[in-house]
Amino acid sequence: MNDENFFDLAMKVIARQCTDAERAELDALLARESQRNAEFAQLQAYVRVAKGALPLVDATQATAGELPTYAHGRLQTKVRQTLGRPKAADESQSAKERSAMWTWRWVLGLAAATAVVVLVALPIFRGASGPAIQLAMLDGVGVVRGSNTDAAALLKQTWKDRAVQSFTNADDLRAWETSASKETTVKVSYDPSTGEIHVLGRWSGRTLDKTFLVERDLATTLKLVRDYVAEQTRH
Amino acid sequence: MGKLTPVNPHELKSLQQGDAVAWDAAFRWLWPTVFAVAQLKLQPFLPGEVEDVAIESLEQLVEKVREVKSVEELKPLAAGIAHNRAVSLLRERFAQKRGAGKTESLDAPVGEGQAKPEPVADDSPLDSLAAKELAARLQQSLAELKPPLGEILSDFFLHGLRYEEIAQKRKVAVGSVGVYLKRGLEAMRRIWGERD
Repeated sequence: MNDENFFDLAMKVIARQCTDAERAELDALLARESQRNAEFAQLQAYVRVAKGALPLVDATQATAGELPTYAHGRLQTKVRQTLGRPKAADESQSAKERSAMWTWRWVLGLAAATAVVVLVALPIFRGASGPAIQLAMLDGVGVVRGSNTDAAALLKQTWKDRAVQSFTNADDLRAWETSASKETTVKVSYDPSTGEIHVLGRWSGRTLDKTFLVERDLATTLKLVRDYVAEQTRH
Repeated sequence: MGKLTPVNPHELKSLQQGDAVAWDAAFRWLWPTVFAVAQLKLQPFLPGEVEDVAIESLEQLVEKVREVKSVEELKPLAAGIAHNRAVSLLRERFAQKRGAGKTESLDAPVGEGQAKPEPVADDSPLDSLAAKELAARLQQSLAELKPPLGEILSDFFLHGLRYEEIAQKRKVAVGSVGVYLKRGLEAMRRIWGERD
């Protein structure tokens, strides 16, 4: 019997797919050619290894099933807590380079041009009273409606009756947070499912990016958020 | 075997920087894997814990993402983490049962005609591998068991199909099924066999 036939016969026996005649044929072969015994034992060991690992290899390639909705918020919180947020707009190297270039021009004597800029800009800055605050919250499934109404009222109350946008899913809320806005806008979003208030925005070239956990009560945390925004946007 | 990288390779950096949109896509892509691996271990004993273990595995992956060097590593690493978390949970629960002096079995109820699940205490050699080592072997397996090799191995060893059935299902010659099996077994032994 050649190697190929021996292998096929051995596989059938190991997998218990053989007929009685095939089983007898293998037994006779093992009795006749003793070196085949070691080969057969080795094949049995290989099959044990394969049968042990194949289910895991198979499971690794699974493609069916959807991430439960409730897990989104929890996982994104983990991402923020572990990795932080990507540096806003990454103000990128080019912005830094531009800034450096302007510094050099200043140093090299573009004082007159700069003076014009300052003269034009000064009244604008004097007129600016603070950042534009935008508010939003998640009003999703599984949150008690009454408590959400209270939360929206507290948000409005903290920032002088500004409108609170409401989103029904976390993805939309995140999209709102990261959507482009003016340089002087600060967005405050509240996600009741994770108990987090997130502040994201820019003011005077500074990036605001901080998450507050609602530990005691929402009103207390909102005061902390308001103080943080005021501190960060002080002239 | 399955695709390893539906997540764009450029996105690894975004993941490592904590980009929420990139993570959303990655979580959706990795969920079937972590769920299936957790289910593989826990379904017979602790079916109620499958989803939690899958979510915790993704959380642990977030912690490890900065150690990852290529997108191809993500899925095997997620699977390795899920496997080891499931095994730890089983060991913990069994230890609690033993500690409490309870005698009831954590085995799932066995239906008629179903084989009784192997007792969890009877650890498989895979259970002693660290998640990273497990991930490396999984990644190698997925790379080496290219279609139809992996499928033929599963058909024969996991689903009990005969040579003829496999040949028909995979559209290969009956005579080549054995050749695939031999090649696949050698690859599995090389990757998963005992290492000195």
